[in-house]
Amino acid sequence: MVTYGGDEVSALVLDIGTSSVRAGYAGDDSPKAIIPTQYGFIPPSSDQDVDMGDNSDSTEKPKGARSFIGEAGPSLFRPGMQIGNPMSDTLIQDFGPIPALVRHVLQDSMRVNPSEHPILVTEPAWNTPENRERMAEIMFEEFQVPAFYIANTGVLNTFAAGKGSALVVDVGQSVASVIPVVDGFVLRKGVAYSNLPKLVAAHARHILLGNNIDLIPHQLIASKTPVEPNMPPQYAVREDKIPGVTDSWRQWYEDRAVEEWTQNMGGILEQGWNDQLAIQRPARQYEFPTGFNTFFGPDRFHVGELFFFHKPNLVASNSSLPRHIPALISDSLRACDIELRQVLMGNVVVTGGGTLFSGFTDRLHNELVRSFPHVKIHAPGNPVERRYGAWLGGSILASLGTFHQLWISKEEWMEHGKGIVAQRCK
Amino acid sequence: MSGISGVTVHQDCITMYQELKLRKKYKYIIYNLNKDRTEITVEKTSDSGQYDDFLQELPEGECRWAVFDFEFEKDGGSRNKLCFFAWAPDDAKIKQKMVFASSKDALRRALEGIAVEIQGTDPSEVSYESVLNKVSTGTR
Repeated sequence: MVTYGGDEVSALVLDIGTSSVRAGYAGDDSPKAIIPTQYGFIPPSSDQDVDMGDNSDSTEKPKGARSFIGEAGPSLFRPGMQIGNPMSDTLIQDFGPIPALVRHVLQDSMRVNPSEHPILVTEPAWNTPENRERMAEIMFEEFQVPAFYIANTGVLNTFAAGKGSALVVDVGQSVASVIPVVDGFVLRKGVAYSNLPKLVAAHARHILLGNNIDLIPHQLIASKTPVEPNMPPQYAVREDKIPGVTDSWRQWYEDRAVEEWTQNMGGILEQGWNDQLAIQRPARQYEFPTGFNTFFGPDRFHVGELFFFHKPNLVASNSSLPRHIPALISDSLRACDIELRQVLMGNVVVTGGGTLFSGFTDRLHNELVRSFPHVKIHAPGNPVERRYGAWLGGSILASLGTFHQLWISKEEWMEHGKGIVAQRCK
Repeated sequence: MSGISGVTVHQDCITMYQELKLRKKYKYIIYNLNKDRTEITVEKTSDSGQYDDFLQELPEGECRWAVFDFEFEKDGGSRNKLCFFAWAPDDAKIKQKMVFASSKDALRRALEGIAVEIQGTDPSEVSYESVLNKVSTGTR
């Protein structure tokens, strides 16, 4: 509990990822509200008056004339609705929709008044000084928060594992990263990250399309009849909706269908790739929104294998291939001195929803013990703890009574301005 | 002086460490957090140089810090090195692990002259052999 103005008030914790925005009370073991980071918007139609001249930063808004945020935002069909995402590589690239997203998750979902609660926000290790200052500005100026702190997700994950030093392996929806944390601080030169999850998603999509599977959004399906495995699906399309479907909405839905398939079907061979082993694993059945259902065998493991190994022909055909996890780890360790490498290998922390594939942790262990004598991996078994490790770390940190000395208060913000963010949040 | 958590260090932590370091009054000190998790305090001191006795003090499922005055033989001579332990077993409660991890720096910076720091999550990482291996590298 934090004492503010004589009353005990819980702090809020806000963790903005590529796929979702997580918010909740400090001290809780899981976020209270989780909404998609993507939002729907309908662009102003050409016959409306569009004030192009006043496109200044002072009025922060999502794109478009009308926007749709939250659980019922992007996922519901609306004629002409497009999908926007303020994030790219887990950095906020477009601050326009951020106030609306924050307002939705805090006020509409959690039903709290942000001007009454200190707020701790998370940031990735490669966040820019401008970005964190902007976040502070939005919190103080738009939401009138009484106090603010921004904490690094790598550090929060390390602390949540009970460690001061660790090598954090974090796989999210768009980025896989390896972050060395030493005595509670990120070792910046050792930060390595790539768009590996996007490669995995692209491969999964390729597999599904190669099997002629239609990824049509279930919102466009009027009705369907159950069919036997591998039989053509029998479903009726909502023809009336088709003219209103935009490319970005359809893309977003298809991405979600691919992700859902990957999460349910994807697996990793613990001992490394082996055709025999992949065939021996039992195939699993999966049903798509159209009603089409089939069994997936080795393809399931081809998807997961991309996290750890890239075939030479794939590397040769793609010069900008995102680095796989063993490559990210070795690049990260190269920047650390030899003694530190041993410490880090004894304290590998695995986090992020992208690490929940069956076999992920065992495979990582097997890859690392080949090069290091002592490897210890800390991977929370509880999926909530794994998915929201940074949020949880922030929740515990902000709930400590002694943490109050680090908050940047509104008064300090007014007095010192942006400079205080870098000074206080190291 | 404090870590990111804001937890402070009780003066006894430093005084007793000085007595261990300069006057050899103790062989080891066990540190813990007070009940309110606001301050680091001395939980126990001992003059037993038996490493096994010391290991008994690191509880299952709970975090502690400790300083052990580690004696060993090298090149026919007897040496000693002050080792700092951050003990955080995996099955400790997540909140306790978090407070300990984010407060360690406060204690660690208050103790001058530590030669080796050991982050331990299971008995193998604080075993006699493992620590001996760490203290003897780099000692001439």
